[in-house]
Amino acid sequence: MALNIIVCVKQIPNPDLQFQINAEGTDIRRDALNYRTNGADEYALEEAVRLKEKHGGRVTVVTAGPKRTEQMLREAIAKGADEAIRIAYDDPAAYDAMRVARVLAAAVKSIPHDLVLTGVQSDDYIHSLTGIVIARTLGHPHASVVTKVALDGTTLTANRELEGGDQEVVTVPMPAVLTIQFGINTPRYAPLPAIMKAARQPIKELTPAAVGASSWDAFAAGYTFRVRRLTPPESKGRAEIFAGGVADQAKKLAQLLREKGFYRG
Amino acid sequence: MAGDILVVAEHRDGKLAGATFELVALGRSLARQSGGTVKVALLGHGAAIAPRLAEYADVLAVDDPHLEHYSPGGYEQALHAIVESVSPRAILLLHSSQGFDLAPALAVAFDAPLVTNCVALVFDGPVLVATRKILNDKVVVEIEVSSERPYLATVRPAAVKAAEPLPSSATVTHMHVSIDPAKLGATFLRAEKPEVQDIDIATADIVVSAGRGIKEKKNLALVEEFAKLLGGVVGASRPLTDMEWLPKTRQVGQSGKTVRPKLYIACGISGAMQHVSGMKDAGTIIAINTDPSAPIFEVAHYGFTVNVLELLPAAMKELRSG
Repeated sequence: MALNIIVCVKQIPNPDLQFQINAEGTDIRRDALNYRTNGADEYALEEAVRLKEKHGGRVTVVTAGPKRTEQMLREAIAKGADEAIRIAYDDPAAYDAMRVARVLAAAVKSIPHDLVLTGVQSDDYIHSLTGIVIARTLGHPHASVVTKVALDGTTLTANRELEGGDQEVVTVPMPAVLTIQFGINTPRYAPLPAIMKAARQPIKELTPAAVGASSWDAFAAGYTFRVRRLTPPESKGRAEIFAGGVADQAKKLAQLLREKGFYRG
Repeated sequence: MAGDILVVAEHRDGKLAGATFELVALGRSLARQSGGTVKVALLGHGAAIAPRLAEYADVLAVDDPHLEHYSPGGYEQALHAIVESVSPRAILLLHSSQGFDLAPALAVAFDAPLVTNCVALVFDGPVLVATRKILNDKVVVEIEVSSERPYLATVRPAAVKAAEPLPSSATVTHMHVSIDPAKLGATFLRAEKPEVQDIDIATADIVVSAGRGIKEKKNLALVEEFAKLLGGVVGASRPLTDMEWLPKTRQVGQSGKTVRPKLYIACGISGAMQHVSGMKDAGTIIAINTDPSAPIFEVAHYGFTVNVLELLPAAMKELRSG
């Protein structure tokens, strides 16, 4: 069957970089951040495009974020998405992931779909909740940490990764939501002509009114949520760090391995 | 009663996830603050693990054929009945594959606030204060949530110490809940175990693991040579097995193997939580990473901060020249 697939993607600060906390201690400093597409979302997009190529259908990418996220959406189009929608939800910090997930759920509801894919987690805040909140809000069956997707007729099966290398295979009635694990596929690079073409493609913007709300505040739930403070991690200082250049550190490493009895050559 | 803390036990193939006892420990400390006790929800079919759990806390057990395998809908139905019956102040689950799948669904179903992947939880009066580590563990954030509804939280494995058993066993209460098989959501088809044809890194005395810091697949040869010189085996962090530079059987961490060798050397591994949980109990841990702020140095005993691709050949030369 031809599939209408929605992929929810997020643009995150590259977590490999260093971060500074703002003077108020309420957020990281965002003036000079380098943003990129969340890793697991790249796999989710690739899986969606492969399903479309095999079974026919349409892939729509959706994000909730400021204008800068349009670049990520254009990349997704260049990699095979048919349409891109930006939910104009401009909270750069967005620590309340439940609230963003409810906004995404409202947007997903307004787009015809058989399958919704998200990454298993975003590498900035590592909540692992967005996909499943969307699923349960819309009443769709779901499976998380998915490492394989198979569609046979209208029956969808998914491999879920458990701990210790074990997996379980589950049947997921559609419409369904899957959260996609790293390594499920090898995401493609966008060909240059596709990048050129995507640069000209319009990106649809979704406002609260489009999903029947007066403002995004309508998606705050019946609880209060507040960031109390951000701090650098307490250094346990366990590691004895060796200084010096390569030659010095190599001598120290060799000495350490001998002293501890790990090398008896 | 209203101050009780409910812990959702995680188990598979008749075995409890060890980190369930960490939830019990955290549940005890929260219950002291909220004026209640810890209760453990055990959902399954024919599992004989209730007495073992009762050594640690009161157990509320639901046994039903439709709970033989985990399903989000089956667990939600059983937990709905338990929550109706005990009205807990907070519900704790593991930040695990099952926790990812279940906790967010419960939050929607119970209209409850959820904080995931917590490393600490305390009550400040009626407010729940959750501590989380974000951005590759480089920033710690404290979140306050306040609600009349029960709080839901998932807790990162190995963040707190496991509970000690009680002086004498607590009670096991069997609850009868009829599970509607039409509302299981995704349903279990079969289990798949990894095929073991490769060496078992879990039994080695020395494991030398490679991460993204080795840059290119061809540099694995260097790590292999170093491991061989020490009589050890080569492990890997997740990105390397995802790229298929090494088979999945070599992956150290939460979704791979847990290893406790006498010596663990992390070569170009940043030390994400998923990796660290699989190697933190090694006897001696040596980390090599050019980023001195990498979280791997939090668990390592010794740290080297030069390029691993230059350090290993130089160290081998030193060792061989004896």
